[in-house]
Amino acid sequence: MSMHAFYLREALRSLRHHGGLATTAILALTAALTLAGMFLLLAHNAEMALQFIGDRRVMVVYLKDEVSDAQRDALNQRLGSLFGAVTYVSKDDAWKEFAQQVGDPQLLEAVGQNPLPASLRVRLRPELLNAPAMAEAARQVQAFPEVEDVRYGAEWVSRLDALNAAVRSGAIAVGLAVAIGIVFVLYNTIRLTVLARRPQVEIMSRLGATDGFVARPFVLEAMFEAVISAVLALAVLYGIERAIAFNIVGVVFLPWSWAAAFVGVAVALAWLAASLALSRVLRSVGP
Amino acid sequence: MFAGANAPPAPTEPPRRSANAAAVRVQGRRPAIERVGKPCYGAAVITFDQVSRRFGERLALDGVSWRMDEGECVVFQGHSGAGKTTLLRLITHEVQPTSGRVVVGTFRGGRLSRRQRALLRRTLGIIYEDFRLLHDRTVFENVAVAVRIAGHSRDDEVIPRVMYALEEVGLHQKQASFPHELSFGEKQRAAIARAIVNRPAVILADEPTGALEKRSADDVLALLRRIHDEGAALLVVTTRQSVAEALPGRLIELADGRVVSGDTGMAAAPEATDAMPDAADAADSMADAAEPAPPDAPPMEMP
Repeated sequence: MSMHAFYLREALRSLRHHGGLATTAILALTAALTLAGMFLLLAHNAEMALQFIGDRRVMVVYLKDEVSDAQRDALNQRLGSLFGAVTYVSKDDAWKEFAQQVGDPQLLEAVGQNPLPASLRVRLRPELLNAPAMAEAARQVQAFPEVEDVRYGAEWVSRLDALNAAVRSGAIAVGLAVAIGIVFVLYNTIRLTVLARRPQVEIMSRLGATDGFVARPFVLEAMFEAVISAVLALAVLYGIERAIAFNIVGVVFLPWSWAAAFVGVAVALAWLAASLALSRVLRSVGP
Repeated sequence: MFAGANAPPAPTEPPRRSANAAAVRVQGRRPAIERVGKPCYGAAVITFDQVSRRFGERLALDGVSWRMDEGECVVFQGHSGAGKTTLLRLITHEVQPTSGRVVVGTFRGGRLSRRQRALLRRTLGIIYEDFRLLHDRTVFENVAVAVRIAGHSRDDEVIPRVMYALEEVGLHQKQASFPHELSFGEKQRAAIARAIVNRPAVILADEPTGALEKRSADDVLALLRRIHDEGAALLVVTTRQSVAEALPGRLIELADGRVVSGDTGMAAAPEATDAMPDAADAADSMADAAEPAPPDAPPMEMP
């Protein structure tokens, strides 16, 4: 049996012998991780929604009536190379769209002659899908002599960006708070476990065990608890996601990479908490 | 000896410990003190030089000086509170002297780092009155943990050492028993097996028969005598006259933290404790020395 196997067996033995303490820690961690996971789920779905909405952001460039076909084609090419895919919408096409949206023939007759300008609709490149970049792009487009006006929903885009930033900030804040909570829970669990096993720790110390020898099983134990808690939290989150998707609104679960990172972060926090706890508690316990 | 027909995969011929310094090796390495390269007198394994230890208002030890040489047996006898356990705790670095100096092997007095302290303890075999076995482990595992602490992890390293130690104390039949399944005498023999499994140069015993009835106490004392006969230095602290009489070697009486009678061994000791290497050198050299010897190796050097 290698030393790693020995440490592993010691960790499992400790988990078995202090089942109550381990169960309490796992439940507390599962609750904390579920909370963090819910915000992660929210952030992921918000990001998906914002990405979906963002993908539909279009800059509409209204052309002056006197612009010739050649000028329009040149502008079309220029905007395409600078800002993204361009679609030409003629006066007639614009009218047809408008008619479809209004739907009332009498109202359309009252309008009389088609007042709508021809336009170029620019589907902006991904790196331009934020308020400052869109404003700058609109300013540059406005400078072309063929352009009558540029619309991109400046206020709406700003709000969308603010919402996106708020969701991200919220997820980070909650993530940090939960991370601190996890470290706190594990720190105290490991401290209590070491104190509960004080006689054993003292005996090992008297036999010449280094702090590392004594500490490694406890660190492994904390990491076990974190893995179990993270998997349980993911299971709870999956249940919540299914319930929401079935009863309320379509949502998606975390991608596998996010779920793996979720478990990985929980294990890393467990390692950190256990190391911190052991560096302090072994000094007070060892003879 | 205890090596019988049912011997485990360990050497059936027990090794002889030798008090001869020239014969003492640790897994074939040169003695630690030679590696340090500094002069060192004689073969003192423990030296107390005017050591006092105060706990609050109480003076547990008061200017105690004594020394023990390699392969010697020294018995400290004294009433409860005489300072015997404090003396052992000073040797194992559980407490520091308030004044004076304690030298154990190449570890000179002063505050050792936690790593150095662990190394020091691995060079000692300690037996307690209350056994201090790990209750959730079998006898085998209790002894094996000492081997693993010394850095040996492979089964082919651990099992022969443990089985040999268990045979030596006559507990090989009880290797799968848990401490609560053993008599007090058997528990103490398990603790002795754990103390000797790494073949330390010094065995410390704190009232080793304190919890035992007479027959078990006689068995344990016979076992300690035999371990000493094989070359290990043996330091026993006890309140009992009978224990002191049953063991060979020097008897030193302690009362109220002072040596009141007996041969402290200081008369013949040269004034050369400064020749000992300092703790940093000691830690370096003891890192090698602390590894347990194989069952057929002679005991660990404590220069």
